[in-house]
Amino acid sequence: MKTRRSIWLAMFLLVGVLLVFGASRSGGPLTQQDRIDAITLNLACPTCSGESIYVSRAPASESIRSEVARQVASGLRTDDEIVSYIEQRFGGQVLLVPRASGVDSLVWALPVAALIFSAFLLFTAFSKWRTNKPTSPTLEDEQIVAQALKNQAESESK
Amino acid sequence: MKIVSACVGVVVALLFLVLVVSEPDQDIVAKSPLLGQPAPSVASTTIDGEPFALERRKGSWVVLNFFNSTCVPCINEHDLLVEFAASELANANAAELYTIINDDSSDAVREFFTKNGGTWPKITDDNGTIAVAFGVARVPETWIIDPNGIVRLRITGELSAGLLTEQVNRLREEFVS
Repeated sequence: MKTRRSIWLAMFLLVGVLLVFGASRSGGPLTQQDRIDAITLNLACPTCSGESIYVSRAPASESIRSEVARQVASGLRTDDEIVSYIEQRFGGQVLLVPRASGVDSLVWALPVAALIFSAFLLFTAFSKWRTNKPTSPTLEDEQIVAQALKNQAESESK
Repeated sequence: MKIVSACVGVVVALLFLVLVVSEPDQDIVAKSPLLGQPAPSVASTTIDGEPFALERRKGSWVVLNFFNSTCVPCINEHDLLVEFAASELANANAAELYTIINDDSSDAVREFFTKNGGTWPKITDDNGTIAVAFGVARVPETWIIDPNGIVRLRITGELSAGLLTEQVNRLREEFVS
C-alpha cells in the first residue's frame, strides 16, 4: 500500500515538473511572420463568428492583419502590446484567449473550481458508501435469517 | 446535496431575474474605449492626392464618416451627409466632414460622389490603418472629434434624419472650445 502511494506521488510530481517546464520553456527566436501568425491566431475576426484573424478573409480581418504586420515590422511594440492595442480598439471580444486577470479570469478559475468541487463531492459520496457498507451481520440480521430458516424448515415438514 | 441544489436554483433564478429586469441598450452612442480620449494619430491622403493629418485639424470640430460605395446603409445615409455639410457652411464654428474610404477603390468613391454629390475630402485608407485605429469593423460609422482632438461620439450604423446635426450641436454647446 505504501509503495503504491509512493509511486502515485512520484508520478504526480513528475507530471507537475513537466507541466512547469513546458509552460515556462522559451520557444526560441521567432521570425516576424511567426510573430504575426501567433498574434493573429489569438485574435477573433470582429465581423464573423468563431474565426481567427489568421484564417479570416473578411475586410476587417485583413485590416487588422495588416496593422499587426505593420506594428511587428516597426519593432516598437511587443506581442502583448500589439494585442492590447487591438483589444483597446475593438473590445475584449476580439480576444480568442481571455486574459487571466480581472473578471475574465473567471473563465479560467470557474472550471478548475468546478472540477475541485466535483472531486470533493465524489470523494464524499464514495466515503459515505464505504462507511455504510456492512462488514458483518448484526445480531438482528442473524435472528432474521434464523427465523427465516426455521419457517422454511417448518413449511417443508408439513 | 440539498444545499447544492438550492444554490443552483438560486443562481438560475437570479439569471432569469437579470434577464427580465435589464433594459435593452437604446443609447445612440456606441461604446468605445476611445470616447473621451485623444483621437488616434492618423495620416493619409485624399483621393485627389492632398495630404491629410488628423492632428492638424485641431481647432475645428471634425466628423469622420467611414464609408464604402457598395454598402447599402452608406448609400442610404449619403443624402443626410450632404444636407449636414450644407447646413454646416452657415455655421461660424462649422464642423469639418471627412469620408474615410473603407475597403473600396478611389475610382469607385469618386464616381459615387460625382453622381450623388458631396464635395468634402475623401481620405484613402489602403491598409485599413485608420479603421483599425478607431476600431471600425463594419461601415458606416460616424465619429465626432472636438477641437482639442478628443473623441466625443461614435455612431455605428446608418444615420437617421437630423441625428448628426443634433449631436454636433449638442456637443458644441457642451464642450465650448
